[in-house]
Amino acid sequence: MTFSPRLVRAELFKFRTTPGAWVCIGVVLLLTGLGITTSFINGSNGVVHFSAPTTVVGLRRLMGAGYTAAIVMAPVLGVLSITTEYRHRVLTSTLLAHPRRADVLGAKVLASALWALFMGVASFVMIGAMGIPLLLTEGGSVSALLHQVGPVLPGMLAAYVLLAVYGMGIGTLVRNQIAGVIIALGLTLVLEPIIVAIFSSLAHMDVNFLPTRATEAIAGGVAARGPGGAGAATTAHVLLSWWLGAIALVIWGIGTAVIGYFTTFRRDVT
Amino acid sequence: MPTVSRTARGAIVEVRGLTKRFGSVTAVDDLSFTVEPGRVTGFLGPNGAGKTTTLRILLDLASATSGSCSIGGRRYRDIPEPAHQVGAVLEATNFHPSRRARAHLEMLAIESGIELSRIDPVLELVGLTADANRKVGGYSLGMRQRLQLAGALLGDPGVLILDEPSNGLDPQGIAWMRDLLRHLAAEGRTVLISSHLLAEMAQTVDDVVIVSRGRLRVQGPLSLLTSQSHSSMRVRTPERDRLAAIAHAAGYAHRPEGEDILFVDGATPETLGPLIASNRVVVYELVQVSQDLESLFLELTTSMTARRAPAAVAAP
Repeated sequence: MTFSPRLVRAELFKFRTTPGAWVCIGVVLLLTGLGITTSFINGSNGVVHFSAPTTVVGLRRLMGAGYTAAIVMAPVLGVLSITTEYRHRVLTSTLLAHPRRADVLGAKVLASALWALFMGVASFVMIGAMGIPLLLTEGGSVSALLHQVGPVLPGMLAAYVLLAVYGMGIGTLVRNQIAGVIIALGLTLVLEPIIVAIFSSLAHMDVNFLPTRATEAIAGGVAARGPGGAGAATTAHVLLSWWLGAIALVIWGIGTAVIGYFTTFRRDVT
Repeated sequence: MPTVSRTARGAIVEVRGLTKRFGSVTAVDDLSFTVEPGRVTGFLGPNGAGKTTTLRILLDLASATSGSCSIGGRRYRDIPEPAHQVGAVLEATNFHPSRRARAHLEMLAIESGIELSRIDPVLELVGLTADANRKVGGYSLGMRQRLQLAGALLGDPGVLILDEPSNGLDPQGIAWMRDLLRHLAAEGRTVLISSHLLAEMAQTVDDVVIVSRGRLRVQGPLSLLTSQSHSSMRVRTPERDRLAAIAHAAGYAHRPEGEDILFVDGATPETLGPLIASNRVVVYELVQVSQDLESLFLELTTSMTARRAPAAVAAP
């Protein structure tokens, strides 16, 4: 396998010239907006009120408002990057231009990672554009929020990137676009919680290597359970360290892509 | 016709003992043929004859069960910068419908390392300049074929491989493509074009490779095929039985029709006329009936015996 910068450029161009990748960014902005709004909903003594977060937990929740968007849309982007080629048979043109398939798959991994990074940046732009004015309106401290950039932003961006690679792996295995999206979302939102419930609660098995748990570890535990960084005491469960989470997610992503390469991507293109 | 080429040089396309099986179905069966530069070669056969499968294997989009293919002596995947050497039109569905035509070509150019300045000339060549900024989803089948051809010509390749490129084209479009392909071959390029219609290709191709059920039937110059198309004589005579006996004695196959008509297969006016005169047979009507190319094609593609035209090897 050789690295081809122009193939990566072409893959990014494909994202740029089709609606799917832009829809992913739109949904990221929407979900981040919802995340920002919910981080202002606080409760005390059974009373829910709309106010600026002031605690470290609350501020990290605001800074990590793009977490749900990452969990949902980054894998979908990865799925789209490969299944769009099958759906519209663009893969024929791609392979005629560059017949070495491993190079094509490698370029897709890199391009998906870069576009996902762009999605992550967009979510932070949304936090800046919507969250900070809201914080000021509600009398919150911007400098206190900016103190949480360091603990949250790198992990969150890494989560976007690695989840996109994971989605690409799923797309390579499945090839069918609708099935790929359903499987990616179903695994994250339905199957993993069930597996966690069964294996963690009943059998007391370690489920922290599952993709969403690994993502949670990388993103610093800013999921609904609460922020706090790797292994934070505020999370409802003990997570992997961020780097172990990253390794787990890389293995999920690259592993599925490699299996997909050997089982489906090398097949005849009809 | 504008000049397409700057440096293009054709290369020999070779298929050697190619076999492709899908489970128990043999789509291509020990197929061998050669395509020469500077000529338009028609790769002909009915639907399901294995043409598309062969072309896809040739372009490394599918794998062969056995045998090999090469373009200029190399497998497609081993050709450096293949889009500069080989242009292919496979089917008019290889587009993202939301992508604009110009963006589609730009995507191909980036992938293939082709200068973006090539886009406008090829768009002009295929007559899509005015529609270049439209989304491909709104294109007709004929426009998609033109766009595919533009993509194939983007790298100014010496070899063109086209799978049923006239699908969806109107008669003017077919005539346009015929002229273009002839022009490209005249520039020294290798042009291999598949079709299930020999009659449509007869004015375009120099050579033919005819396949049926995955096997080679005929390879050679079209002119040789035309000369092989045998004629028969239609004779209206009150002495049909006597003429039948005379024709039989002279070694001609014959068949009666109606009350007083006899077809004498393989005969010409020059051979049958003297025979009739010397035997003093009364004749009311004597007409030469030539077998048309399409019926010859049908006969060849339903025949189980492969033929190789002897002149094929010496084809210029």
